[in-house]
Amino acid sequence: MARISLQNVSKSFGGDQGPWAVKDFCLEIEDGELIVFVGPSGCGKSTTLRMIAGLDETTSGTITIGGRDVTGLPPKDRNVAMVFQNYALYPQKSVYDNMAFGLRVRGEAKQEIDRRVRAAAVSLDLEFLLDRKPRQLSGGQMQRVALGRALVRDPDIFLLDEPLSNLDAKLRVKMREEIATLHARLGATMIFVTHDQVEAMTLGDRIVIMRDGLIQQAGKPLELYDRPANTFVAGFIGSPEMNLVDGQFFDTGGRLEVRAGDLSVGIPEKTFARSGQNVTLGIRPEHLVISNDSPLEMTVNLVEQIGAQTYLMGTLAGHRMRAVFERRDEIRAGDKLPIAFPSERLHLFDSASGASLRIAQRSGKIGAKENA
Amino acid sequence: MVQDWRIVALFIGSIVLLGVIIGGPLIYAIMLSFYSAKSFIGELQWVGLKNYTSALQDPLFWLSFTNGLIIAISAIVLQVVLGVGIAMVLNKRFLGQTVVRAIAILPYFLPTVVACLIAQWMLDPNYGLLKSILASIGAGMPDWSSHAFTARGTIVLVSVWLWTPFVVTCVLAGLQTIPTQLYEAARVDGAGAWRQFWHVTIPGLRSVLIVVILLRGIWMFNKFDLIWLLTKGGPLNQTETLPTLAYRKSFLEFNLGGGAAVATISFLILAGVILVYLRLFPIDDAKQGR
Repeated sequence: MARISLQNVSKSFGGDQGPWAVKDFCLEIEDGELIVFVGPSGCGKSTTLRMIAGLDETTSGTITIGGRDVTGLPPKDRNVAMVFQNYALYPQKSVYDNMAFGLRVRGEAKQEIDRRVRAAAVSLDLEFLLDRKPRQLSGGQMQRVALGRALVRDPDIFLLDEPLSNLDAKLRVKMREEIATLHARLGATMIFVTHDQVEAMTLGDRIVIMRDGLIQQAGKPLELYDRPANTFVAGFIGSPEMNLVDGQFFDTGGRLEVRAGDLSVGIPEKTFARSGQNVTLGIRPEHLVISNDSPLEMTVNLVEQIGAQTYLMGTLAGHRMRAVFERRDEIRAGDKLPIAFPSERLHLFDSASGASLRIAQRSGKIGAKENA
Repeated sequence: MVQDWRIVALFIGSIVLLGVIIGGPLIYAIMLSFYSAKSFIGELQWVGLKNYTSALQDPLFWLSFTNGLIIAISAIVLQVVLGVGIAMVLNKRFLGQTVVRAIAILPYFLPTVVACLIAQWMLDPNYGLLKSILASIGAGMPDWSSHAFTARGTIVLVSVWLWTPFVVTCVLAGLQTIPTQLYEAARVDGAGAWRQFWHVTIPGLRSVLIVVILLRGIWMFNKFDLIWLLTKGGPLNQTETLPTLAYRKSFLEFNLGGGAAVATISFLILAGVILVYLRLFPIDDAKQGR
């Protein structure tokens, strides 16, 4: 178990001049925390993980694990364990030997190896599979063996690189729960990389959202949901995506509002916006409400019933809009619904940079490039 | 169905062709081994198993057999060890990789006779290249062809030179199928280069190596042209192998039946060894094990 600190970590595969796969990555990970790196393909999340593992060298910056600078050290000297997307089990070794290999390499005593492998096998439900070869296992079992191989090593940190991506949807949910349980039981520091925002929201103590090698925002899952730092985070977290409407901000004698074509929405509190500034108004589909008092009308174009909820796609004052309500059987395509925007649920972003105008931006840290 | 009889026709056609080209001579050779004959046109005389008994009682037969084994095994070991080593170097990324790969495979394109002539030209005790080089530093050179060890060594070296590229090509292809994540997992597990080689590379190459060793084994054990061109079985039968012995008996001693018997025994030994080998190292299992 250990604290991890990343200071201005950068990675370029083309030398000092870039292009940068990861740029100025700064993060403090507390002992026992489960951190999720999330973002679209090519955002640098896996590269960052591989730099922590020592599989990729850093171009600049420092990485410390448990107070020890490990930046230049090979993977074997970092006491990290890693779980790979395609499991990377040694195909010719049995489950037992796969888990024992790392300990044998480190010269552990035979009895100690046996004790640890069997303990890990029990905790991961693998006792009866120890003699099998990887090819005789299902995807979920292979993933558990990969976890077991990490577990027996008793590493300072666990690095998990999209470990659930190769599993089917049902198994993915089950393994997600197992990883959460494992983390709670071990209290180990874990870094989990995924492109799936649901995995990120459900697993992470904290989430780091990345794009183009830059951290967009880091924080607790609900913080990111409630106060996204920019339009990218706003769109990435939450499903269906947040509605974003481009307009202009006006401060007319103390009355604050955003006008976007025929749409005019009042803003209740002080923001960082200037009158006349081009802004993007955001509201999550699940925060729209049907209110008979509202003068705004949404024409429903498409209704999706998913059981507990009803998803709507429609047009409101010329803008495409998604809405999510508790199950409503009676809504049909072509219906016109009176819709209100609860003002406390509104988000406001600068159109040019995408940065939030409702939360103060810390310059030089999170999303620095976005706000420059 | 039209398509069906076409497939059947193609199938039967190729079976007939194979039967004529391979089966015919094979059966004829086995048949010959039960007869005494001085030439292919002369009259055959039935002698039963006499050719076999006299072959098996002949010390030269057993000398040829052990010579063949020694030459084949040492050549295969060297070809595989060097082949894997060179393939691993060529598998790394470096400047001019494609050119070096092409050059490394070049010897495989040489006709055996050319390779043997080059070897003789280099090693000739009177005017060879090696002789001149040694002479220029004041050293002498023994006649390599007059000692059993050096004569066998020359055959092995030329075969290694000619066919290591074949092993390199196969192993290079095999190396590229090993997932890089296995090496990364091993590195995170703490394995150094040596352990990665034994626990990731060699198991990953298992199926390739099984096939390569089998093919090279068959080819080396049956090698005739190389040995005949380099030593003709000499000195004093020290590089005689079963194929050269069969040739010598048939075409130099005009004992067609005796030659055929040696060839048939050699064929049976090889078939037996291949069966045991495939039982020990099944190719299918190896593929699944990867």
